[in-house]
Amino acid sequence: MMNPNSVQPKTLLLADDLRKSYDSSRVALRGLSFSLQAGRVLGFLGPNGAGKTTSIRILTTILEPTSGRFYVDGISSEYPEKIRRKIGVLPEGLGFPKHVTGTNYLSYFGQLYGRPASDAKAVAMQLLKDVGMQHRGDSLIGTYSHGMRQRLGIARALVNDPQVVFLDEPTLGLDPRGQKELLSLIRRIATERNAGVVLSSHLLSEIEGICDDVVIMNAGQVVAKGTVSEVIGQSMETGAQRNLIRVRVPASSVTQAQEVLEGVPNVKQVTLADVMAGWLAVQVMDRVDGDSLEESLAKNKVLDALIRAEIPILGSETGGGRLQDVFLQLTAEAIE
Amino acid sequence: MTDGQTVIHAESKSFDSRAPMWWLVFKQELAELWIGGRVLNLLILFTLLMSLTVYLLANNNELSLLPTRQAVFVALEAAITFGLFIGLIISAESISGERERATLEPLLLTPTNRRQIVFGKFLAALTPWPVAFLLAIPYLVALSRGDAVLGEALLYGGVMGSVLTVAFACFGTLVSIWSNSNKISLFICLLVYMVSLLPAQLPTEFHPTPIGLLIDSTIPLESSRQFLQQTLVNSVAVDQVKHFLIAPILMITFLLGVLFLYAAPRLRLEAARPRLNLQFWNRAEVTE
Repeated sequence: MMNPNSVQPKTLLLADDLRKSYDSSRVALRGLSFSLQAGRVLGFLGPNGAGKTTSIRILTTILEPTSGRFYVDGISSEYPEKIRRKIGVLPEGLGFPKHVTGTNYLSYFGQLYGRPASDAKAVAMQLLKDVGMQHRGDSLIGTYSHGMRQRLGIARALVNDPQVVFLDEPTLGLDPRGQKELLSLIRRIATERNAGVVLSSHLLSEIEGICDDVVIMNAGQVVAKGTVSEVIGQSMETGAQRNLIRVRVPASSVTQAQEVLEGVPNVKQVTLADVMAGWLAVQVMDRVDGDSLEESLAKNKVLDALIRAEIPILGSETGGGRLQDVFLQLTAEAIE
Repeated sequence: MTDGQTVIHAESKSFDSRAPMWWLVFKQELAELWIGGRVLNLLILFTLLMSLTVYLLANNNELSLLPTRQAVFVALEAAITFGLFIGLIISAESISGERERATLEPLLLTPTNRRQIVFGKFLAALTPWPVAFLLAIPYLVALSRGDAVLGEALLYGGVMGSVLTVAFACFGTLVSIWSNSNKISLFICLLVYMVSLLPAQLPTEFHPTPIGLLIDSTIPLESSRQFLQQTLVNSVAVDQVKHFLIAPILMITFLLGVLFLYAAPRLRLEAARPRLNLQFWNRAEVTE
């Protein structure tokens, strides 16, 4: 059902220079500023320890920022109880009571948001249907699989019909089909409810498909933000992505391949793009500046080194243009 | 999930429920405690301990020689000691346990006032005591053998047991709010509980000494025990021993104040260390 008020995108979330320090030596967040419009999905990306969860916890009023402010649908962060009425959250690693049914669990939270009991139950049943769990609503949560609990968590995040939804690693533990369905649901939450969605995830390739905007964080700082195409474009302009070659080797040979490639002349940096799948990202020296011949020669040298080391090559690509490459490039310092 | 299915837009947009939030938290906590089986296990243990106590009182060569009033007092003391232990354990896990199980965060994400969350859980931690006391009644009836002490035991024991249970549940909830680990919370509560029981183990001749009198008057569990012993065993009028009620009443008043005026509004996902600078109006967490 379309929201009749969604004629023009409205700013639902505005963060203004949020900072968080735990003591004089530990700074978790160094100035987070961004905005999120209605109907859009914002991807929050960053390596472990980048400050994503801290940011989400501040924006969902669980933590207080050391300085800075944020606004949810115009409501200042000085009024956390009012903000909580406007947001829905799926935290990372969410736990559930074991001896309660899914329907009762959702109904309980619906009532905590102020719905009358009968209304809360009806909404609970509909939400379970929306996330594909209509047949397990009367089962105890203790009998649910991990994926089912994750879906229940998403249903709970929607129980108050929020205007901004925060999802921290929502696809964790889901099988590929479940991930795809979930990402489709996330997209529909944004478009059909005209809500803003903040999505924190490591699944870069999938996020690239559904996110309208991204914020890439590293060590508590924002290193890139904007629409997906803007962020990728910025990285292409610096030349970093033009000089990037990706090669895929068997997972068991990744370490050996990395060592071999680091010894190749003109190779600036080798990072592990996807250890499980065997992808390595090879950054060659900046002499390669868009000349396709030079680019091919650089690729030949990389492939040649692997062949000489008798490492099977399962695939290769050149150039950037992917969010994953931008993410790796900008966060390489943290990975090392 | 089914592709193409329309996401609900919540046709009913009513958010005007009159049910107080603490009542919702209380009901949910009751379901988890009782249906989940945690309280039932503790009550079974309580019943076993009471049965053992009364069995020894009835059959042990020395204990069976105790006068009826004394025997009833011993059984009542056991019921109160075991009963408040259940409340203490439940309350010690009420917040720190939720932190460890990662179920506290969704609760904090609702607009529910922190004080109401704590109140609902605190009330739920008190519910085992009335049931435990009811379970103890048949034992007291059996030991009293028709003596009038039964009525006094039920009245004074019920009141003192309730006061102590509230006080210890308050303490357990406070420790739980200030602890990130359930193990630490339980350890601290058990330690305080054991220390509270120590004065009862002191020799009889110690109690009339100045230090003994000080301990008897200031440690709430011991002063309650003294009150019950004087009224039930020695048949002393309540007026003459009402000074023993000061410590439990002060304890309950102080702990309730600290819990609901200071600690509860500051409930957070991770435990913060309590601070001595009393700023009651920190941020909107404190506002209703």
